[in-house]
Amino acid sequence: MSATDLTSAAEGHGTGSSVGTTDLIDVEATDFMPDDSVAGAAADLPAADVAVRAQQLTKRYGNLLAVNQLDLVVPRGSVFGLIGPNGAGKSTTFAMMASLLRPTSGRIIVMGADPSKKPRTVRRRMGYMPDNLGVYDNLRVDEYIEFFAASYGIHRSEWTALVDGLLELVDLSVKRSAMVNSLSRGMKQRLSLARALVHDPELLILDEPASGLDPRARVELRELLKTLNGMGKTIVISSHILAELEEMCTDIAIMEAGKLLAAGPPREILERLGGARTVKVRFATGISETFTVADDAEQAALLRRLLVDEGRDVVEFVEHSGGLEQLFMTITEGVVQ
Amino acid sequence: MINPVLGREIRERMRTGRAFVVLGVFLSLLILTVYLVYQGTGSTGEIQVDLARQTRLGRDLYEWVLFVMLALVLFFVPGLTAGAIAGERERQTLLPLQVTLLRPSSILVGKVLAAMSFLVLLLVASLPVMMVAYLLGGIRVLDGLKGLGIVLLVAALLTVMVASLSSLAKRVQTATLMAYGFTALLILIGPLLYFTMRVADGSKGNDLENPPAVLLVINPIAIVADATAGSGSARQSDGGNVLRWSREQLVEAKSYNGESWFAWFPDDDSGAQFRVINGRREGFPAWALGTIALSLLAAVLSYFAVRRLRTPAEVER
Repeated sequence: MSATDLTSAAEGHGTGSSVGTTDLIDVEATDFMPDDSVAGAAADLPAADVAVRAQQLTKRYGNLLAVNQLDLVVPRGSVFGLIGPNGAGKSTTFAMMASLLRPTSGRIIVMGADPSKKPRTVRRRMGYMPDNLGVYDNLRVDEYIEFFAASYGIHRSEWTALVDGLLELVDLSVKRSAMVNSLSRGMKQRLSLARALVHDPELLILDEPASGLDPRARVELRELLKTLNGMGKTIVISSHILAELEEMCTDIAIMEAGKLLAAGPPREILERLGGARTVKVRFATGISETFTVADDAEQAALLRRLLVDEGRDVVEFVEHSGGLEQLFMTITEGVVQ
Repeated sequence: MINPVLGREIRERMRTGRAFVVLGVFLSLLILTVYLVYQGTGSTGEIQVDLARQTRLGRDLYEWVLFVMLALVLFFVPGLTAGAIAGERERQTLLPLQVTLLRPSSILVGKVLAAMSFLVLLLVASLPVMMVAYLLGGIRVLDGLKGLGIVLLVAALLTVMVASLSSLAKRVQTATLMAYGFTALLILIGPLLYFTMRVADGSKGNDLENPPAVLLVINPIAIVADATAGSGSARQSDGGNVLRWSREQLVEAKSYNGESWFAWFPDDDSGAQFRVINGRREGFPAWALGTIALSLLAAVLSYFAVRRLRTPAEVER
């Protein structure tokens, strides 16, 4: 991604770029497939369409089993939400994806390479934003980005355009010469995101990026992530704000006590595991009734019965799904490692 | 391309007022030392006609400035360097750094060079103070540069060791305590062991089994003392300070050990090369021996520091 690309994306002209660079994929990335019973239909995706694939991924700290035989597939170009209570193992999973932690057993392939064996290959194609917001307070905003550009080996001649593009993308252009310690938390969060984007990675791993942000900053961050996804970047994100993830994510995985409970597109999981949904119907007479249906087919049958068979005048037909929050509460038990 | 960590560290360090406070304190104490030594000789401030006395004053000034400079370096290095890695860890900036393409050794080297560059600034700024002794005629320019060089060498080794130790700590406070504890140990452990063993030997009435003199050599003060033992006019000093006392102890310790640094095997070949031959400073000098020992220690510590910074790691650090 060039600075021009960044600028055009920031202006809303960015188009989804292609993500399939099969020539960079390791042979080892193609020789295993995770268990698809919980990993969802994505488990069958070919290696070229997969950003992250974990198989029986396990991390143990002494007696503590932080991640327990995790099977996970993150499709390329997706916004993948990892959901779970505190202590579920999300950050540990992210640290293994980001080549910071070595798994105790099992395997993980990130952008076609094993982070344990080829961490630098993974780091070239992955941007990581940890859950803790650590920045260098005594630097200016542009110096901060330049430092990381240098750390990724980007030549000095490219820095100015890169800083311009990134700051425009994260809407910090007016703060270019401000000291980092003068920024608000939301701005620091966006600066951290700019830092993770400095080497134009194809995959972004964002651990609780919305943590501690006010509602406005959260909305801005969400819009920014949508823009980045529109640029073709795969985004793996964790958050406690499930409603946001539901709106933003194309795929989710729910973890608890180190184990994967469910994975796949949110709608699919809701249908598979969410159980019954309620439909509120308001009639022309002013009377409202609530019906319980199991799936889309039952919902369509209900509407047909009311309109055709019973000939009633329906003025409103609204599905009430508990969404991710209800699903989360249903399938997790509040177990903390 | 310049090491990115070095560039950022220098920029951050020089942007705060702390760097200039340290520089001010460093130079003020050295100037105070010159003033006190000058006053201590009973000088009237008039031009001295007794050249021998003036030369001794110059030499005393040199010795004292060198010693205070070394003492300040031993005090400031732990304080300036202890937060090198622990500081990154404490302010949670280490993980973003570790997922870049920087190698762990580059991070450590950047930190060490940044601390060293500030020390070079301190020492170069203090050169005019040291050269007051040259104006009085006590030392040659070469002696002044040699003194500065050896203090810089000791400072560099200590910086590597303290920065490496910093990688073991999660908090700057812990790292600072470790750094000062380590520096104190480095200065005291050798002499403490040596003199304790000597007292123990003496109490047994056994004069032959003296402790190995090498115990006194692996010591920053002994290294500077031996390297600046002086030649020509520099010999003519009778003003005592720790450096002079240290030199005397080194000579005495060797004489107890058959002019060898190692008492365990005074007659074998390896022992022979560490002896003083015919009273001259030949063979392996104490400062070189001490420097090699400290270099080895610094190499071992930096090896473990790089290992600890390496990712992917087995545990989150």
